[in-house]
Amino acid sequence: MVTLVQVVVSGLLLGGVYALLAGGLTLIFGVMRVINLAHGEFLMLGAYASFFLFVRLGLNPILSLLISMPLMFGVGWIAQRLLISRVVRAPLLTSLLLTYGVSLALTGGAQATFTNDFRSVPFLSGALNIGEVAFSVPRLVACVTALVLTGAAQFFLARTRWGKALRATAQSADVALACGIDIDRARMIAFGIATALAGAAGTLTSFLYTVYPEMGKTFMLKAFAVIVLGGMGSFPGAFLGALVLGVIESTASYVTTTQIAEAVIYITLLAMLLLRPQGFFGLKEA
Amino acid sequence: MTTRTRRSILAGTPATLGLAGLILSACGGDSGESAAPAAPATGGAPKGAPVKIGASVSTTGSNGKTGQYQVEAYQLWAEQINARGGLLGRPVEMVILDDQSDPTVGTKLYEKLINEDKVDLVLGPYSSGVTQAVSTVTEKYKYPMLSAGASASDIWKRNYKYVFGVYSVAESYFYGVIDLAKKNGLKTIAIINEDTVFPKATAAGTAEYARKEGFRIVFQEQYPTKVTDLSSLITKLKAAKPEVLVGGSYQPDSVLITRQAKELDLNVKMLAFSVGAAMPEFGEGLGKDADFIFGPSMWEPSLKTKGNSEFEASYKKKWNREPDYHSATGFAGGQILEAAVLKAKSLDREKIREALSTLEIETVLPGKYKVDDTGTQLSHIPVVIQWQGKDKPVIGPDAMATAKPKFPMPEWKSR
Repeated sequence: MVTLVQVVVSGLLLGGVYALLAGGLTLIFGVMRVINLAHGEFLMLGAYASFFLFVRLGLNPILSLLISMPLMFGVGWIAQRLLISRVVRAPLLTSLLLTYGVSLALTGGAQATFTNDFRSVPFLSGALNIGEVAFSVPRLVACVTALVLTGAAQFFLARTRWGKALRATAQSADVALACGIDIDRARMIAFGIATALAGAAGTLTSFLYTVYPEMGKTFMLKAFAVIVLGGMGSFPGAFLGALVLGVIESTASYVTTTQIAEAVIYITLLAMLLLRPQGFFGLKEA
Repeated sequence: MTTRTRRSILAGTPATLGLAGLILSACGGDSGESAAPAAPATGGAPKGAPVKIGASVSTTGSNGKTGQYQVEAYQLWAEQINARGGLLGRPVEMVILDDQSDPTVGTKLYEKLINEDKVDLVLGPYSSGVTQAVSTVTEKYKYPMLSAGASASDIWKRNYKYVFGVYSVAESYFYGVIDLAKKNGLKTIAIINEDTVFPKATAAGTAEYARKEGFRIVFQEQYPTKVTDLSSLITKLKAAKPEVLVGGSYQPDSVLITRQAKELDLNVKMLAFSVGAAMPEFGEGLGKDADFIFGPSMWEPSLKTKGNSEFEASYKKKWNREPDYHSATGFAGGQILEAAVLKAKSLDREKIREALSTLEIETVLPGKYKVDDTGTQLSHIPVVIQWQGKDKPVIGPDAMATAKPKFPMPEWKSR
């Protein structure tokens, strides 16, 4: 019983990190119908930002979010303005090609600038024990941070004027435009927020995993699985999807092996697409 | 296609032979014992058409980090050989490509090196997976290849005639660690590994050797590459209560296993990782949690092997960082190729193949270069390192040890 609880706890903590990455991905899809293949590379940039702030200035990675998130928001804003805005209304393949190109360019750029060295941030280790169940301290901190940031983003979307503009743009760009909403700006804000969230996910992974130029790819497949489970475009759906996926992954790893667990994830994904293609909270269209 | 290559070899022959003679007499003849030349300057500046030596090494992709060390070593070797008069008096020109850690890309690139770039000789790529794939190409074109970045024994189980091992096969990586465990009276072992060619070979060899040495294997499981969570696996490991845990792993997973073992309070008396632990970044990333962890190393800067201190110093000077053991195996690959060419006295690939199969020389690596009929490396001796504070001294085998092993690994809670 204790073991089972332990496995579920580990799964939930893992899901927290997936949630932050998938949240941004689903936001971009929701607002622009663009699948951002460079999202994992934004995670990588965020991870490097925190790594260098930690190594050079000794800055606590969680505090470094105060610097890295606005920075990554700017990166996203500029990327949207210069690149993504050109393909928003184009067929899906165009945006896939563009974001894939951005992903390759960022990975290559990182290899040239930061080298292929493996880096990690020796920050937080060990666990907090409640009874016999261990809560990994770094993962707990990451999960809580992810929860706070996802909550803040959800609050912004649901309760603020610009959040409303974003949602309107997501529902129908033409009508939003007719109502006087600056949809270009709404999209830049959406992409900026999504990129900042990816960067924050990078910060969290910098002390959980190893930082290297190609680290983004490790998480992207999982992030796509999460947003299909949660429902493409749904922000709360992504959060739920991430936790569910984390628990499925850790339970399957425990019952079978880590190798088979990978297959279980994609079988779940397939089953979801067949039985409930809109996911938990997805929009019932397309 | 091949005729052109041959013509270019012939064109350089008269001058080449003259100079080769000079070099050889300076080196004290061509006996099998002739050391890999470490001394500089024999015949002045190299002349004639360059000897093109091709290799594709992963400098991007999952093995890009380690592959980079090998590339740097190849380039350092080429620079040094040119500084001391070239290969058979001709300058060496390295043609190095990047296979992106993808075996399929690797095979295409060796086809390209041989058919389009028309290289005279090749050196091996990085990683067992890529080497295994590209050796089918080099075998087809009868290009002898020193596998300076691979060690899975499967490579030498196919009756290939043109591929030669530079360092110990993957299966034997943990022999030293198991010997140490046995000496300390330990009886149970768990083996976990990534499910790719090299880690699988390491795990299989470790399991076989451990059984032979009387250990009971209480747990064995594989995990996929790019794994993001090993907590469930570690929970299972905890229940199996092994005294020794070895991971057939690379750097990112070694760090992940260590972190999650601490979180879930998995305590073993000995913990060892195959590739990750010997890298300097392992200690930097884990801080004091890296302490007590063992790892096999194919080479260490502290070893008193032939020309080692010069190699380390010149590497640091050229690349501005410490060489890793992958640098040393790459450099040794160059040294062995050089010795084989000198022994063959030509760039004739059949003669070089002959030379490689009978050669017995010292390189910067511990032990010697000497292969059996299959090309498997027999005389290289891997050492065992252990993280102790910020250092990772050699703790075995005894003859090369620079420190005593710290044993057992204390429980996480009491550290």
